[in-house]
Amino acid sequence: MSRLMIRLTNPVQRRLWLTAGSGGLIALALLTRYGLGSQSLWGPLMTAAALLAGSDIAVRAWNSLRVRHLSIELLVTIAAAGALVIGEHWEAAAVTFLFMVGAWLEARTMRHTRGALRELFEAAPAQATVLRDGSTIEVPAHAVLPGEIVLVRPGEKIPVDGEVLTGAAAVDESTITGEPIPVEKASGEPVYAGTIAHNGMLQIKATGVGADTTLARIIRRVEEAQEERAPTQRMIERFAAWYTPSIIGLAVLAFLFTRDMHLALTLLVVGCPGALVISTPVSIVAGIGRAARAGILIKGGQHLENAGRITALAVDKTGTLTEGRPRLVEVVLARGVGAGTVTGVGAGVGTGDTLPWLDVAETGAVEEELVAVVEETSASALDSGWTPPLSDPSFEIGGAGPDGVDETWADARWSPEEREVIRWAAIAEAGSGHPLGRPIVESALEDGPLPTPDQLDEHAGMGLRANHEGREIVVGNRRLMDRFGIELDAGIDAGLAELRARGRTPVLVAVDGAVSGILGLADTARPSAAPMVAQLHRSGVRNVVMLTGDDRAAAGAIAATVGIDEVHAELLPEQKLEHIRRLQGAGYHVAMVGDGINDAPALAAADTSIAMGAAGSDIAIETADIALLTDDLGKIAEAIDISRATLGNMRQNLVIALVTVGALLTGVLMGRVHMAGGMLIHQLSVLAVIGNGMRLGWRK
Amino acid sequence: MTVHTTDRLVTTLLRSQELSCPSCVPKIEKALGALPGVEQAKVHFNTGRIEVRHDPTVTEPETLVDTVRRAGYESAVSAY
Repeated sequence: MSRLMIRLTNPVQRRLWLTAGSGGLIALALLTRYGLGSQSLWGPLMTAAALLAGSDIAVRAWNSLRVRHLSIELLVTIAAAGALVIGEHWEAAAVTFLFMVGAWLEARTMRHTRGALRELFEAAPAQATVLRDGSTIEVPAHAVLPGEIVLVRPGEKIPVDGEVLTGAAAVDESTITGEPIPVEKASGEPVYAGTIAHNGMLQIKATGVGADTTLARIIRRVEEAQEERAPTQRMIERFAAWYTPSIIGLAVLAFLFTRDMHLALTLLVVGCPGALVISTPVSIVAGIGRAARAGILIKGGQHLENAGRITALAVDKTGTLTEGRPRLVEVVLARGVGAGTVTGVGAGVGTGDTLPWLDVAETGAVEEELVAVVEETSASALDSGWTPPLSDPSFEIGGAGPDGVDETWADARWSPEEREVIRWAAIAEAGSGHPLGRPIVESALEDGPLPTPDQLDEHAGMGLRANHEGREIVVGNRRLMDRFGIELDAGIDAGLAELRARGRTPVLVAVDGAVSGILGLADTARPSAAPMVAQLHRSGVRNVVMLTGDDRAAAGAIAATVGIDEVHAELLPEQKLEHIRRLQGAGYHVAMVGDGINDAPALAAADTSIAMGAAGSDIAIETADIALLTDDLGKIAEAIDISRATLGNMRQNLVIALVTVGALLTGVLMGRVHMAGGMLIHQLSVLAVIGNGMRLGWRK
Repeated sequence: MTVHTTDRLVTTLLRSQELSCPSCVPKIEKALGALPGVEQAKVHFNTGRIEVRHDPTVTEPETLVDTVRRAGYESAVSAY
């Protein structure tokens, strides 16, 4: 009894049983007529089948009519009822049965299309282990209190947003960022609900739970985006609003002119706009869902349609194309500095040891004429077929062919002479917190620990002077050298000028009153920048433009490396805006990538605004048209590709829907298509449209 | 009851995977809106999300699910 109740009250179950019952009656009718040769049961059985399947359709039609909506169900109900009245029992049964089967299949398939986000829902674990009153207990994930300590065992999903207190683990963040490579997380680092901690135990202080997690916000944003109607969808809905009444009108007219009730009813059936009304939503839900799985939030159908039209992309330099922090990229030696240098510099050198290269530097730096030997590492690397050190994983991503990235070689092996210069500078810099000092210290630390200088003076805006084991180290700019009476000859001057021309920030290094070399620092291009620009060009972005406030030389150096089409440097925020307007005036559909406040006006003016590395930033998620959860530039091209594929998919669906309806209507008017056959083809076209939309989710 | 009803309103989220044609949207919205204690009901066809702003002491989430079922669609309460 209770099972029967469930079958009757659960609409899905009820519909399934009504459909099955109707199908059974149709089969029975066919059996009695063609198997047993009895005509008498044919009509009653088919009528019963039509009533069984039709009852649900009629109820739905009535419900829609009550809210003044002319639904597809209404068309089918009128057609089926009319067919029964004129004695076409078989047609009535077939139409209602096929409509029910089709609706059931549609619901099933739509569920799969909507399922793109289910992975995200299921990413969040239901339970969390918290440390409460000194003992560990299991609570529902949404019942964790902010500030509580959550324990995550190896292999478990992290149930809350939080900060690692103790422990370390490789965390698979692919649900949030789409990035398949796990990220090492240790104390103090943020973790997100729905990510998986591998091979390590974590204690996490909860900062966000339940709906207040990045995962929940992403799901919410993606759903809002899927719900926002694309312009094409709005157009279709306007079309559908007068389409259904006009089909009814057409059927009435057809009956008035031909007096053929059968023709009029068939028109109602094949005129159902099912495939049409569902064509765009299906593509958009699938496309936005597909993008979300790749860590790309496209904020609605409007932006999805816009993204596919992008022909120019404006990028800032710092933090977008570059790593956003300086690296040591060049060393210019004063000639003679390293003459007769010993090998094994720095190996195992500890604090207080006699440094083996001190003597060398001493002899080298004495009265020999200082001739700057510019060693442009990138140039020499390319000329000599230099291959990047395999230990640098960035090269596996970026590649460094002849046209590849030539600025990512901070790990490049310096010559022993160059290492001496770096090490001298690093001994002084190690005691200072200057941002330009950090890359020098990092480079030197690759050769072993650094000793602490005996004495250190900072000269603000100029550099440092240190004493170490009786030697005087002066590191800084030209003014600092002047202050200590250190002469710069023509060779050093040429070296300085050349470094500046290439966009490097030069740092002079002098030991015991003589310049031993110049270190060239620069913000280097990300390994992914050059492949990204190439990918964008392949994706139809004709003009990749750099708009930056940085100086011309530095901007030009990066632009040449990554293959930028247009460079505009030393810009003020409003000038960036002017460039966006100029590009738009030239007929480009302009997208702008930015993050900083200074990009805000240009972002607002661009046709599509893109935020990068948005995983931790709610503002970026909320304000940009497209938010990339990682800072992987390649996602921009991927977003454009997905958008194009979705637009194409939408058009295919419209063609399928319109061609089917057009062909069916023509067929009916020519007397070639009958009611049951028309319904079958109509339902198949609806499934074809949904199936085509689902294809978007499968693309790699 | 002297308490302002606005103080009691919560938003309950239902999800239905069954919505297969946009014409069911007004039907469900109207059915939910007719319930006592329901201030607003919004059905999003594309995602199958149903947002109901209601007073849970007057109309429980289970009643919302029952109402959607009577309108012809299966749904479930969702955390987000």
